[in-house]
Amino acid sequence: MYQIAIKMLMGDRAKYVGLLLGIAFTAFLVTFALSYFAGFMTRGFALISENSSADVWVMDPAVSSTEMTINMPSSALGRIRSVKGVNYAVPMSLSDITARFPNGHFQTFQMIGVDDATLAGAPVLTDGRLPEVLHTPYSVIVDPGGTSDKLQTPKAPRDQWPFDGAHLDVPTRGLAFGDELLVNDHRVIVAGRSQTIPRFPPRPLLYTTFSNTMRLLPSESRRLTFVLAKAQKGISPHQLAKRIQQQTGLRARTTADFKEETVRWYLINSEDVGDMAAMLILAMTVGFGVTGVMLYMFTYENLKQYAVFKAMGASASMLMGMIFIQASVSAFLGTGLGIGACAIIGESVRMTLDYPFRMMWFTPLFGVLGVLIVSLSAAAISARPVLKLEPGAVFSGR
Amino acid sequence: MINKQTKIAVQCRSIVKTYGSGASEVFALRGVDLDLYEGELLMLVGPSGCGKTTFISIVTALLKADSGVCEVLGQDINALTLEQKVLFRRQSIGFVFQAFNLLPALTAQENVAVPLLIQGRNRKAAMHEAKAVLDSVGLGERIGALPSELSGGQQQRVAIARALVHRPKLIVCDEPTSSLDHKSGQMVMQLLRHIADQSNTTLLVVTHDNRIYHFGDRMAHMDDGRIIKTEMIQEKKETSE
Repeated sequence: MYQIAIKMLMGDRAKYVGLLLGIAFTAFLVTFALSYFAGFMTRGFALISENSSADVWVMDPAVSSTEMTINMPSSALGRIRSVKGVNYAVPMSLSDITARFPNGHFQTFQMIGVDDATLAGAPVLTDGRLPEVLHTPYSVIVDPGGTSDKLQTPKAPRDQWPFDGAHLDVPTRGLAFGDELLVNDHRVIVAGRSQTIPRFPPRPLLYTTFSNTMRLLPSESRRLTFVLAKAQKGISPHQLAKRIQQQTGLRARTTADFKEETVRWYLINSEDVGDMAAMLILAMTVGFGVTGVMLYMFTYENLKQYAVFKAMGASASMLMGMIFIQASVSAFLGTGLGIGACAIIGESVRMTLDYPFRMMWFTPLFGVLGVLIVSLSAAAISARPVLKLEPGAVFSGR
Repeated sequence: MINKQTKIAVQCRSIVKTYGSGASEVFALRGVDLDLYEGELLMLVGPSGCGKTTFISIVTALLKADSGVCEVLGQDINALTLEQKVLFRRQSIGFVFQAFNLLPALTAQENVAVPLLIQGRNRKAAMHEAKAVLDSVGLGERIGALPSELSGGQQQRVAIARALVHRPKLIVCDEPTSSLDHKSGQMVMQLLRHIADQSNTTLLVVTHDNRIYHFGDRMAHMDDGRIIKTEMIQEKKETSE
C-alpha cells in the first residue's frame, strides 16, 4: 500500500510539483536564513579566524569578545611570556580611530596594531606586496572590512589636501599604495590594501604595527588589547590557557573557545542579532506555514480516495501509514531540492556579492529537521479528517 | 435462480436509522425488512432520498443502524466492533460506485489490485490476480491504462474487476450505470448478471435506471425509509433475453 501511496502522491503532477516546491522553498528559507546567520556570526569572530596560528588569546578578565574590549598594561606581555609552556607571545592592539581623507571626508576605522617584530596578525596584501611594508614608520594597510566604497580618495591632485577648504563632492577613486590619510594630526601612508574576512558589523580596518599605534594614538599607558600566545610542543592549548590564567590573573582562552564566547556575546548583547533573528524567525514561520498548509491541502483533496480505501477495509493504521509516507517522501525530496538550491545560490552570492553566507554542518541539518517536523505535524493534523471520514461518503449523494 | 433451498445472504429486520436529533431529526430508515439470497441479483429502486444509500451503508457495515437486526453473511453487523467491521468489509464485500472511484494515478491493473494489497497480499501476487480478473472482464489488453485513458464503460468494468478480485460474497453496486451511456450500461449489467450466475455471489444493485431492471432476479421498491414492495422479475428478464 505504501507504493500506492507514493503513486498517489506523484500521480497528480501539478499538485506534487507544487508541494515539492513549497517544501523546497521552506527548506531553502530555513537553511539560507541559518547560513546567513552563521555567516554573520563567522564575521563576528573574523579577527580570531585571521590569527589561526595563535593557540591562546589572553585579555583583560572582563573581556569576552573581540567586539567590546578594554586594554591591559604593557607589562602583561612579559608576564605571559614568562609562563612555562609558552612558545611565543605577541601583542595586539585594537582601537577605533577617525581618519580624514585628502578631500576632507572622514571615516571611522578599527585600527589593529600587530607585533612589530613578527608582524603576526598582519593581513595578506592584495597587490602582492609583503606585510613588511608596515616596517616603514607611519605606514598602514587599509581593508574594507565588509564595507563598500568607504575607502575613497580624490582622483585629482588639486583636490587633495586643498588650502581652500574641503573638496567633498569631487570625483574619487579607491585608496591605493602611496595615498595618505590623516590620523590624529599624523599623516599616514597607505602601504597597501588587503581583503580579509569581512567584519560584523562591517567597518573599514587599518592595520599597522604596535609601535605605530603608540605614535598615532593619544598617549595612554594601556594599549595592549590582546596577547596571542603559541604553546610549546607537548602542551595543549587548553593546558596553556589554564596556566596563563592561573599565573597572570588574566583571562586566557583557546582560539576555539574564544570564538564560541564571541558568538555568545553577540547573541546576548548585539541588538542587530536580535533584529536579524526576529526576521529569520518570521521567514521560517512563513515557510513552515506554507509547507504545513500545502501538505494538509494535499491530503484533504484526496479525502475521497481515502474514503474508498476505508470502504474497502483499509485500517486506520494503514491510512495513517500512507499519509506519513507521503509526507516523509515529500519532505525528503523537497528538502533535498531546497538545500541543494540553497548551497548553489548561497555560494554564488557569497562569491559574487561577498554575501555573509556560510553553510555550516548544522544549517542543512536544521533545515531537514525543521521541514521534517513540520511535514510530520501537518501529516498528523491532516490524518484527522481521514480518520474521522465516514466511508459512506463514497456513495452517490453523500 | 432462487428456490427454497437457496440460503439467505443478507437478512435485515426492522432497521431504523435517523440523522440529527431533536427538532432536526430526520428518519432515513423507518423499519426496513429485506432478505437477499446467495447468488441473487437484487435491484433496490426508489426515489431520491428514500433511504437506499443509508440502507446499503448499513448492510456494508459503513454505518451503524439505530435499531433492528441486520445479519450479513452470517454476521450480525450491529454487534461487530469497529475493527471487525473493517476486517469484514475487507474480506467479504465488494463495491461498485456510480463515479467508479478509481484512483487516477494508478493503472487499471493497480486499481484492481488495491483490495488485495489492503488484505496484505504481496504486490506481485496481487498484480497477477488483478490481471487475471481484468482478463475475465474483457480488459486484458488495457491493464496498463490509466483511468483517464479508458472510456466510462471500461472504467466501470475495471471497478467491477476491483470489486471481484478478492472474491467477496456480497457486491454492492451504487448506481453502476448512471454515469454510462445505454450500450455501456447494458454491457456492465450483463457482466454483473454473469457474476451472480457463475460465482454464487450476491449482488445488491441500487439504481434509478429502469432500462436495467430486467437484469435482476428481484426488485425491492423503497420509499420514505421503508421497503414497500418486493417482486420477482424473472419474466421481464426472460422477455429481454
